[in-house]
Amino acid sequence: MSDHTATVESHFWRQISRTFVNWSLFRQIMSFVLFLVLWSIIVVAVDYFQQIPTPKAVFMALFELPFSVVFINMLKSFIRVLAGFFLGILLGFPIGVAIGYSKVAKSLIFPAFEMVRPIPPIAWIPATVLFFVHIESQIIFLTFYGAFFPVVYNTMGGISEVDIRLPRAAMSFGLNKRQMLWKVILPAAMPQIFTGMKLAMGITWILVVAAEMMANKGGMGYYVWYNHTVMDYPHVVLGMGIIGLCGAICSIGIAWIGNYFTRWQRIF
Amino acid sequence: MSNANEEALDFVWQPPTIKSKIFSQTTILGAISILLVFVSWGLLVHFEVYRFVLFPSPAEVLEEGIAWVSTHVFWMDAGATTLRVLGGVLAAYIIAIPLGLMIGWKKIFSDLTFPTLELLRPIPAPAYLPLAILLLPWQEASVAFIPFIDAFFPVLLNTIVGVKMIDRDYFRAARCLGSSPKQIFWHVVLPGALPSISSGCAIGMGIGWMGAVVGEMITGKWGLGYRIWEAYILIQYPLIVNGMIAIGILGFGSSVLIRYLTVRLIPWRRAITDSLEESITK
Repeated sequence: MSDHTATVESHFWRQISRTFVNWSLFRQIMSFVLFLVLWSIIVVAVDYFQQIPTPKAVFMALFELPFSVVFINMLKSFIRVLAGFFLGILLGFPIGVAIGYSKVAKSLIFPAFEMVRPIPPIAWIPATVLFFVHIESQIIFLTFYGAFFPVVYNTMGGISEVDIRLPRAAMSFGLNKRQMLWKVILPAAMPQIFTGMKLAMGITWILVVAAEMMANKGGMGYYVWYNHTVMDYPHVVLGMGIIGLCGAICSIGIAWIGNYFTRWQRIF
Repeated sequence: MSNANEEALDFVWQPPTIKSKIFSQTTILGAISILLVFVSWGLLVHFEVYRFVLFPSPAEVLEEGIAWVSTHVFWMDAGATTLRVLGGVLAAYIIAIPLGLMIGWKKIFSDLTFPTLELLRPIPAPAYLPLAILLLPWQEASVAFIPFIDAFFPVLLNTIVGVKMIDRDYFRAARCLGSSPKQIFWHVVLPGALPSISSGCAIGMGIGWMGAVVGEMITGKWGLGYRIWEAYILIQYPLIVNGMIAIGILGFGSSVLIRYLTVRLIPWRRAITDSLEESITK
């Protein structure tokens, strides 16, 4: 909303400043600065929040970060997330395609899924302990379970929302069922399939952190919780930042792969 | 053959009778599907396949479940968890919806806040738990903080997308007719974004349940999440399964409730979805 009462003179100066400075970018950078300043002020000014580390303390803690420990924990979390995620895709993608493609498969499988899905993956933690002996496989099962439903549902949704004119056109060109699936339906459903994968990735990170906090078997979630128990709060905040960074890297990676598979349209 | 017949029949469409609805392929296969889950669960337990030896059978779960629901403890737990979820998620609605509307509407506001929020978004909610314990004075609040964070970002992003999807012409028309920014906000921005906000709220509620269960498992003294964790430690396996079922039902119920309430707020959307559903079922 521009100011309609602007005088000619101020209009001139605004024109000049707009040519030489990218104000939007400047404001976006100011957003971070503002955040850090507000954070510092709140911590310093409010007595109750004394224990919360200031941005400066977090920054100083960066220099005494035990890099080898963090790296190993990061690697552990990454392996758990990616293992569960790929298992989820490996199983969820074909099932999603089957449900989306065939009405019989949908009415046979879908009600059972609808019954199980409302149970949040986290609530499966005690039950997974029953089925899997090793903590590693328990965590991987959880991440798998978290990734499974978003992949299935979005694959299904993507396929059932394909514009009906596309398969009809393909049919009149004489494509057989297999070509129809690979050349028409899957490419058309790709954007939503990748939306599902992005969602799945977010949920696997939530689950991995929660599971690691409880499991005492390393990983970034454990790192954060451990630092909480020894009251080393700057490192808690750093650990959170690192987890966020890992999650961001994963979702950027998916967006990147998704861009390749949906080259004809820029969605991500 | 049958396909062609069906298409031909489309022109003389008749409403399905109750009998044809009950005996349709979808309903029968659906019933088989649900039955299959319970039968295979029962069989796996009965024949003690792999680790199913430890697992309770459906009959056992049902029996224990009925006993559990009639106790005082169940209602305390369910009430505590529901209150935490509602507290956290409603707080997320109250903060995220106005914030999202402003971010979607005003470029300056978006520039000043959105980059920071994008920075915080990838951090999963459980990672906030140590800070929540430190930040908030009482434990109830620190457990409710997890559903708050979980629900916050889906609601925020859906609200922003909702505002951004509004046709620019509505803004132009409103300004042509001389409406003030306040009027534009109440008559264009808010109603235009409501459908998207509604779905964001339902998603937030679903994820909120997950957050509350995590929080309770790690720090709680009460609640369903704590109860199944305790059941696991005390090796009461039927209670674990019943707890999972209770969480599932409550979570699903609250999502449905939110969807119902928000759809009430947008009658014009209901008309659209109704007609869509009609055209699909036809």
